[in-house]
Amino acid sequence: MIKVLFFASLREQLGCDAVDVAADQLGSVAELRSSLATKGEAWHVALSNEQLQVAVNQELCDMQAAISDGDEVAFFPPVTGG
Amino acid sequence: MAVDISISVQAEGFDPGAEYNRLRSDNYSDGATAMFVGNVRDFYVADSEEGAAQKKSVSVLELEHYPGMAESALAGIAREAAERWPLGRIRVIHRFGPLAAGDEIVFVGTTSAHRQASLDACAFIMDFLKSRAPFWKKEVGVGDDGKTQSSWVEARSSDESALKKW
Repeated sequence: MIKVLFFASLREQLGCDAVDVAADQLGSVAELRSSLATKGEAWHVALSNEQLQVAVNQELCDMQAAISDGDEVAFFPPVTGG
Repeated sequence: MAVDISISVQAEGFDPGAEYNRLRSDNYSDGATAMFVGNVRDFYVADSEEGAAQKKSVSVLELEHYPGMAESALAGIAREAAERWPLGRIRVIHRFGPLAAGDEIVFVGTTSAHRQASLDACAFIMDFLKSRAPFWKKEVGVGDDGKTQSSWVEARSSDESALKKW
């Protein structure tokens, strides 16, 4: 399984902070994102935001990053701390 | 000698004076200490529907973070600073949860033998923290109509461009 986390405005748009997704046939973050976008209109809209950032196992990555079983993947809007 | 790095991500407040004392305690090799403290403002400027900037009062700032990654991202930025400048100590604190106007949000403190290294490293850590550490601000305030409003703070392109100077 891949543990997927959502933060901030994205979490609110989806009404969901985490889902577990079967790892089969998901080789990259981009494929995971496309698969999640089929979960409904809200998911399609929220996940098509070009500005979304992604972290794999708590490291910032790009959408082409490879993923595999057991990974933790987080999607979030640009950070605004400090 | 290895740089002494200390990172905290916490809900509790902190005392900048006590942090200064900790940076200085038994530290006789560093003649320079640089510190930055970020606090919650009592207003923010939001874009109205007409496109004009509007001032609104903020009663609460909610800070969301990604537990685990927040700490590791700050530690990574601090390690990078330690590789680039001859520093003695680095202290970074970032708070999360609901904060009120005036509250401290973030602390960065650095020490070095001479001032330039600690000043530059302090600014470097803040610049990278703004664009790379997983924290998100949500402002809760009262609009002109007296109703409570909340909105996520938008990332500023000036924060991303601030990285280019490093």
